Amino acid sequence: MNAAIDNHWYPVAMISGIDAPRETLLLGKKITLGCEEGTCWVKDASGNALPTVERFGHLWTSPGQPNRDLFTIPEADSPGRRLVDVGSVKVKCSPLRAVENFLDIAHFPFVHTDILGAEPHTEVDRYDVKIREEVDEVWATKVKFFQPQAAKSAEGGITTEYMYRVPAPTCSVLYKTCPPRPGEWDVITLFVQPLTDEWCEVWPWMALYDDDSTMSEMVSFQQLIFMQDRSILENQLPRKLPLDPGMEVPTQADMTSVAYRRWLKKIGYTYGAQLVAA
Amino acid sequence: MDWVAVALTEDVPAGVVIPSRIEDTDLAIWCAPSGRYHAWSDRCPHRGMRLSHGFVRGETLACIYHGWQYRENGSCDYIPAHPKLTPPSTICVPTYACTEADGVVWVSLHQTDSAMPDMGGRQPVRSMPINLSASDLAAHFGAEDFTTIAVVSDHDVLFAVQPCTDSACVIHALASPDADRSSVSRWLEDLRATLEGVPA
Amino acid sequence: MILYDYVLSASCYKVRLMAALLGKALTLHAVNFHPGREHKSAEMLALNPQGTLPVLTDGDTVLTDSADILRHLTVDQPEWHTEEDERWLAFASDLNNSLGLARLHDVIGYEAVIDTARAAGVMALRKLEAHLTEQRFDGLIFLTGKAPTIADIACFPNTALAPDGGVSLDPYPSIRLWMRAIRSLPGFIEMPGIHRLHELAHPA
Repeated sequence: MNAAIDNHWYPVAMISGIDAPRETLLLGKKITLGCEEGTCWVKDASGNALPTVERFGHLWTSPGQPNRDLFTIPEADSPGRRLVDVGSVKVKCSPLRAVENFLDIAHFPFVHTDILGAEPHTEVDRYDVKIREEVDEVWATKVKFFQPQAAKSAEGGITTEYMYRVPAPTCSVLYKTCPPRPGEWDVITLFVQPLTDEWCEVWPWMALYDDDSTMSEMVSFQQLIFMQDRSILENQLPRKLPLDPGMEVPTQADMTSVAYRRWLKKIGYTYGAQLVAA
Repeated sequence: MDWVAVALTEDVPAGVVIPSRIEDTDLAIWCAPSGRYHAWSDRCPHRGMRLSHGFVRGETLACIYHGWQYRENGSCDYIPAHPKLTPPSTICVPTYACTEADGVVWVSLHQTDSAMPDMGGRQPVRSMPINLSASDLAAHFGAEDFTTIAVVSDHDVLFAVQPCTDSACVIHALASPDADRSSVSRWLEDLRATLEGVPA
Repeated sequence: MILYDYVLSASCYKVRLMAALLGKALTLHAVNFHPGREHKSAEMLALNPQGTLPVLTDGDTVLTDSADILRHLTVDQPEWHTEEDERWLAFASDLNNSLGLARLHDVIGYEAVIDTARAAGVMALRKLEAHLTEQRFDGLIFLTGKAPTIADIACFPNTALAPDGGVSLDPYPSIRLWMRAIRSLPGFIEMPGIHRLHELAHPA
């Protein structure tokens, strides 16, 4: 029992995908979940009911006693958006590595070549990063990057602006320039379920302005992107995320990741982290 | 353990990087366009990505994750996210002694003055992984040491053995220059099936 | 020609890759295989009662087997065929039933006896490695000769994606060089899990 780890909300299922009760892992422990007559439930290995929240198309639970409500994404509620259940992908890496990769733009030209980035447009300009103490979240703003095809709805290359937000240790929300609606932000999230400290199930979810693409096309696009990341995430050594400086060398482009690691350390979130430089 | 065979040179042509390992040490083995071979720690200092998944561009090895390029001495040469930056000299990949002889790429994890094992004029055939520890393999052939194992066979076969885990090693097989390499390769497959105790 | 396509399917990728290498245009119709199970929808079952992907339609012709689709795409291109292809097309099915199954298990939670699937995958990779090694002794890089055929395109995807299912490709030098030769072909396209050869690009 570690309150700093247990007292968070974790995604454990996509609600539309729960057809029968099933078992899964959360923080290395077995849980069961199901949905009956429109209400979802989660139980621990001893059969005790765990708290639940149904939000963003997903079922959330906690093995502890969360001292605050699950975060909200007010932008996602605005009318006209299409809510996209992307489904899950399992990855053999620390849940924290999966989040950190989501916060990174410098890999776009090499891992998402000709989609989210392309040589020679590799430069990452300075952006703003801070830990917003009042909400205890990590935020990166004014992040700009040249993208050949920023979204399913994008035609041709554009400079895309991003904001990144880490509202919980294993979740990140990305706001990005919306090609068909200047002035609005598309919302793309990465909700990570820590199965163990070196194995996770990743549930991307999106709230987009896109009146042209089919739902299947939007799902495909995001799965394509995430599976390109998966081949990186399964080949980082160590599998856990090193929180102490020294083991890995950041640059200015990694300011978000530096803040994320510092914040994890500050709040004592060590699940999936490596604390002593090997 | 001084020099250990990690690959046959024809399996690592110029411009190619491959993964390898000696016991607990993960290695990226690569051949620069110049023809020089290198054995590096298989880990980019930036975010821990395996460099053996990377690519050779010019006389550098680049990481697939963010494209960081490393010169032949292991020092970082170029960071694409900051094209105008000269990377500090502290960013470098640990390197190991690596050289080529008799068509075999040899690596030593520590400084050594010792000579490469003598291949006796044999020619490389192929590298083959086997689910058996290097020491068990040596014991099977009555060899004192697994570095090289001479095998009594039709083709004057010699094994240079690469220890990988407690239950796996790689045999780099060489044979007489006039041996038919396909025959040796099939003989090796049969040998592996016998030693692993599974039907071929 | 319309390809009913799932972006993460190794078998759909065979078709996309073959068409790209031939320079033939495909209209892609995205099917939400996971999590939507759209391949079992009424619309898709009407097209292919087996409920599998890929499905290729060309006028009135509907093809649902990836080997048939490869033959169809290359029907007027004899250089993509040899007499040896058939056994490798069968071998490609073995790869799909072992490495392909392990991959679906590890990525999206498909039911599988994972140890059995992986062990069968390793045996298949060993066979492939032994064959490609002998080919190299004869100065040949592809499965059936100096040039690629539909055999190579059928076997490439599940082989290259083996690590997605927890099967390492590290111990197979001849497979590595064969995959590199395929990735070097003019018109080659990648899929998630298979990187393009970045050494071919040059920074400004």
